[in-house]
Formats: sequence, C-alpha cells, structure tokens
Amino acid sequence: MKSYMTRFTFLLLLPIVSLLIAIKAFAAVETIDDLPGTKIGVQMGTTGDTYAKDEYEGDEAGTRIERFNKGNDAIQALKQKKVDCVIIDEQPAKAFVEKNGELKILEEEFAEEEYAICISKDNTELKEKINEILSSLKEEGILDQIIRNYIGDDTKGKFPYESPEGVQRTNGTLVMATNAYFRPYEYFENNEITGIDVDIVRAICDRLGMELKIDNMEFDSIITAVQSGKADLGAAGMTVTEERLKNIDFTDTYTLAKQVIIVLDDTAKNVKKLSLSEKFHQNFIQNNRWRYLTDGLANTIIITIFAALLGIILGFLVAIIRSSHEKNGSFAFLDMLCRLYLTVIRGTPVMIQLLIIFYIIFGSVDINKILVAVIAFGLNSGAYVAEIVRGGILSIDQGQFEAGRSLGLNFAQTMQFIIIPQAFKSVLPALANEAIVLLKETSICGYIGLTDLTRGGDIIRSDTYEAFMPLIAVAVIYLIIVVVLTKCVGKLERRLKVNER
Amino acid sequence: MSDKAAQGKVLLEIRNMTKAYGDHIVLENINIDVHQGEVIAIIGPSGCGKSTFLRSINLLEVPTAGTISFEGTNITDKSVNINKVRQKIGMVFQQFNLFPNMTIQENIMLAPVKLGLMSKSEAEKEAKTLLERVGLSEKANVYPAMLSGGQKQRIAIARSLAMKPDIMLFDEPTSALDPEMVGEVLNLMKRLASSGMTMLVVTHEMGFAKEVASRVLFFDEKIIKEEGTPAEVFGNPKAQRLRDFLQKVLV
Repeated sequence: MKSYMTRFTFLLLLPIVSLLIAIKAFAAVETIDDLPGTKIGVQMGTTGDTYAKDEYEGDEAGTRIERFNKGNDAIQALKQKKVDCVIIDEQPAKAFVEKNGELKILEEEFAEEEYAICISKDNTELKEKINEILSSLKEEGILDQIIRNYIGDDTKGKFPYESPEGVQRTNGTLVMATNAYFRPYEYFENNEITGIDVDIVRAICDRLGMELKIDNMEFDSIITAVQSGKADLGAAGMTVTEERLKNIDFTDTYTLAKQVIIVLDDTAKNVKKLSLSEKFHQNFIQNNRWRYLTDGLANTIIITIFAALLGIILGFLVAIIRSSHEKNGSFAFLDMLCRLYLTVIRGTPVMIQLLIIFYIIFGSVDINKILVAVIAFGLNSGAYVAEIVRGGILSIDQGQFEAGRSLGLNFAQTMQFIIIPQAFKSVLPALANEAIVLLKETSICGYIGLTDLTRGGDIIRSDTYEAFMPLIAVAVIYLIIVVVLTKCVGKLERRLKVNER
Repeated sequence: MSDKAAQGKVLLEIRNMTKAYGDHIVLENINIDVHQGEVIAIIGPSGCGKSTFLRSINLLEVPTAGTISFEGTNITDKSVNINKVRQKIGMVFQQFNLFPNMTIQENIMLAPVKLGLMSKSEAEKEAKTLLERVGLSEKANVYPAMLSGGQKQRIAIARSLAMKPDIMLFDEPTSALDPEMVGEVLNLMKRLASSGMTMLVVTHEMGFAKEVASRVLFFDEKIIKEEGTPAEVFGNPKAQRLRDFLQKVLV
C-alpha cells in the first residue's frame, strides 16, 4: 500500500519536477560567446538555420538547434523559454521585437548576407529580364522607396508602391512562391500578402506586363516549387548561398541583410498584459482577423465534403471489385490493382501523399490547390472506405446472396439491390468515423500553402504573436463540427434501424 | 400418385452428375428424371449430399461433371444464361433468407420488378394475391424482423412464387423452425403440391414425405441408395442403411 502511495506521489511530482528542470536549464544569452551549449531556435531552411548548423550543431558544448516552420513559431518558443535564443534575419527580428516588448536583439550581428529572387536554372530568359528590371528599378530609386516604405521609422508608410497607370497585362501570369510570415518582406495584412518582396515583384510584373499570383508555402518548399515549375520565381527574403546555388539560380541581389540573435529581455517587465476581451478583440476583431478563420473554414468544409464523396465512390468501387473477386474470382487484374492501391495508400502518411500529389504528380501543372487537396484526401480516404465497405459486404450473410441469385438476379443486381444496401447500413458508423478523421486530417493542407481552418488560425497567430486565442478557437470550431456530425450520424443510424423493428 | 407423375413430361433430367470439393467427392454419378407435377422428398442422414444435390439444380453449387437439363436446356453449358434459368426455379432456404432491409411486400416485389417481368403495380397486385394465399395479408408493410419463423418461411415461399417458377426447391424448409410453427409451413407446402407445383423437398419431416410426396429419394454414401413411392420406401425398405436410418428417425 505504501509503495503505491509513493509511486503515486512520484507520478504527481514528475511533471512539476521536470518543469523546474526545464526552467533551470534555460540559459541566458548575452553575447555570441554564450551560444555554445544553448538551445537555438531557427526557421527551417533559412540561412539562420545553416549558420547555426555549421557553427554549433554537434559541438562539444552540446548546442541544440530547434527548427520551426515559421519564424513566428520560433519567437513563440522563445517567449515560452523553450529555446534560449532565435537566430533570424534582422528586419523580421525588428518586427518581432517591436510587437513583443519582452524581446531584444543582441547588439552583435551574427552574419551579413544578400537577398535575391530565386529562379529555375532552366529559365535564364526570365532571370535576365528581371535583372534588367531590377537594375533600372535601382537607378530610378523605386527599389529604395519600396524598402524604405517598410523599414525606417521616419519613412515607414510614406512611399507605398503604386502600379503605373495603363499597364497592359497581356503576357500571362507570374507565380511567386513565398512564405508570408517574414515581416516586413512578406506578411499577411487584411487577408492579403504584402511586404517588400511583394512590392518588388509587383513592380517587376508591371514591367513584364504580367499578372501576379502569390503562392504562400513553407519556406523550405519554395525552392522545390520553383524547381518543379509550380512557381516562376521565389521571393522570400532569400539569401544567396552556395548550397542553394546547387539547385537554383538567383537574380542579382536587391538588398543587404543580416542575421541577428533575439533573446528574452529580462529588464522589460513592463510589458502590458492584455485582458481576455482585449486579446479576443486583437485576435479576431482587429483588422477583420476573423476572416482568416471563416475563409479557412470554408475551404476545410469544401475539401472535406468533396474528398469524402470521392473517397466513398472510390472506396465502394474498390470494395465491390475486391469482394467480387473473393466471391467468384472475377476481376483478377483489377483486384491486383486495388490491392496495390490499398497497400500504397495505407502504407504511407497522408501528408507525404499530399506533398507527392502537389509537387510531383501535378508538379508542372498550374492546378487549383483545393482540387489537389480533394484528390489527395479523396484518394487516401478511398482506401480506408474500401476496407470498411469490404468488411461490411463480407459481414452480410451468404444466404442473402444466394437468395438473390436464386431469384434470377445476376451478380451485379444482387450486389446492387440486396448486398450493398445492407452493407452500407452496417458500415455507416464506421464511414462517419472515417469522415470525421478526414475532416481533421485536412488540417495539414497548410503544407501546400492552402489556407484551411488550421492555417487560418496560424496566420492570426503569426500576426498577433498570441497562441492561446487562435489555437483554442480553431480547436473549438473543429470540435463543434465533429460533434454536430456525430449527432447527425446517430440520428440517421436510428432512423435506419427503426425499419427493422 | 406415382402413375400420374410418370405421365407428366420430363422437366428435369440429371445425368451422371458428380460433385467434388477437391478430392472429396460428395455426390457420385447421380441420374434422375423429374416429371411435371411430381413432389419428390429427399431424405438421408446429414452429410449425405442431399442439400448439395438440391443446390446443384439451380447451380448454386456447380457440378464437377455430368449434365443437368431443365426444360430441355442443358444448364451446365457455360453459354446458357443461368440467371434466366433460375427465374423459373424457385428456391426456399432453411434460414428463410428474407431481405431484412425491405418490407414483406418489397421482398416479394423485388425480383419481378428489377428483372423487368412486371410493372410495379402488377407486382404489387401479385404480392397482394400471394400474401392472401399464404395467409399473411396484414403483414405486407412490416419488416421481416417482426415475423415469427413460420411466417418468415411462408413469405419466403411467396417470394419464390412471385417469379411464377415451374419448379420449387425446398432446402430443409422447416429445420430452423420451432416445433409449433412447422405445421403452418408444411400445410402451405401441401396446398402448393396439390395445386400441381413440381417440388423437390429436402426434409426430415417423414410424415410430410409419406403423406405428400409422390416419390422418395434416399441419399446415402454419395448416391441415391434407394428410391420409390412412399409406400415402398417407408413400408418396405430394402437397403440396410435405409432401414437403420428410418429406425432412427421414426422413433
């Protein structure tokens, strides 16, 4: 008995103790020399990541590097003391610090670098054109104005870039890949992506006579997107590095930048704490931020509905082929294809399937991302539906099948009128469950730069540096949909059951 | 009775039929003619192949060798549309096999309507007539789960009759019933027999076989060991196995 008590107490204490250890382990970084042995936060694939990796990863002091998908996530981790410092580009760093009183940038600069636009190695024509335009933008002072419109306390907002009047956009569309969590180069404002890079590319498009289409994605996906032809160019505060040059070409550089180190500012205790209602206002009302959620929700629902439909059609087809094969040996070749499909789809993560479909299968095609998501999730769901339905068909008594056949119905008619309706009813709860899983799985749509509900919340989070409100809001919305869905299915199930009593 | 049956034209002609599952032979070299209007009771110990024999007639089991001719067509021929043939061969199962997701009326109407033999309204009328005939008119709109076993089997018979079959196969139609329900099903089958329906009945109801059948087949050891009128088979069994069997079942 006593030992149980001790064990129980120990279990209770464990999280508290580990929390204390975690806090104690937080190391103060005051200069670059303090970096070894700390936990460094970086944005994955950025030059900050490269420097940290080259300089510190695997060193004797045991420095650890935590890679985040977005700079904002790294900053949030710093605020929660999950990392000791963050290495990131200077301008975004300034924006972060400006919005978060409890942070500061160390005086020492970490590294200097130059930004340029990346273009596929196969597209030297576009590169040369852009280089020409960049140099004339520089000469005319427009480039400088664009940058100063975002950077510099006294010039901010003074030189908004306007397209010249009467631009003919007859030369098609130019797709720009970016990662819009990198203020002031690219970020969301009022549901639109804006920033220095965006304005520069807008100016380029004006001179090329092209429409601009911005494609938001993870930073480390940009080069792949440009390589594969998904995007014509990448503009995302991207530094020219040896490593990147192996895979992609860069235009001439358009601005200088530095990597800096952000740490927590212990002296700034006077950070204003927002009340809950102020937080609510900031996250959802201000700048109409709620629209990220509603727009995202609409996409999530569209994707879920159509993917579920596709999945059900596909699943039933596969299930019918497979159970027909099991019953009378027909469709041998199709059955083999179906089994291959099931093995591949169920044997790989849906996320990888989504990325493969987007970057490889539709790599060089300009295709609607929602369609890509519907196809990816539909294909994925189809495999699970197929196995559910096949189980349902097999669970129907063989006598039902024989009764149908003995009346003169052929195989297909027996399936259609007798077996499938009964199987459908018996698998309905499992199908509903699959739909619910599907709904939640669509939350990875952000990885192909599609703004679904989850990504909508992420955009708010990256804008307000507030994790609680957007995440909880997103969770609550998912929860409500799932609860409503579950209720509906329960009702449907009861109604179907009434018949048989 | 056997005289009258013998006068009818031959409906079913089974020649040298063998059924095996791999190396395991279930039926060997079966030969039999069934005449129009005959009621044949098939008896025998369990596992003797009598059910397999019955199920071979509409090809629910495909014979390994031999031929089955129904109304002059060799139905074991691959080029024959077996679905068309089955429309004329009704079958009643031990477990009824009603469609649980349909009402009684829908159960009866399904095949004639889906196969385009009747319009919906014709099938409805037919269902009504059949329900009256089996004495279950008031059950038209209920689901099978609400019926007793005996009622279910009567509906199953009605469902088969809706296809206007030329022959009816009964696979132990009363074996899954509680004893008090056996009578209602046998009565219906008796009426069906006296209306001239050709019937093959696999059964353990020796009373029914004696009273209604025109011919009795005793299946044992993969073959038809003995056959004859009920009087011959029950009154003067020749084979030792048949005598043993009857002794066991007629206690």
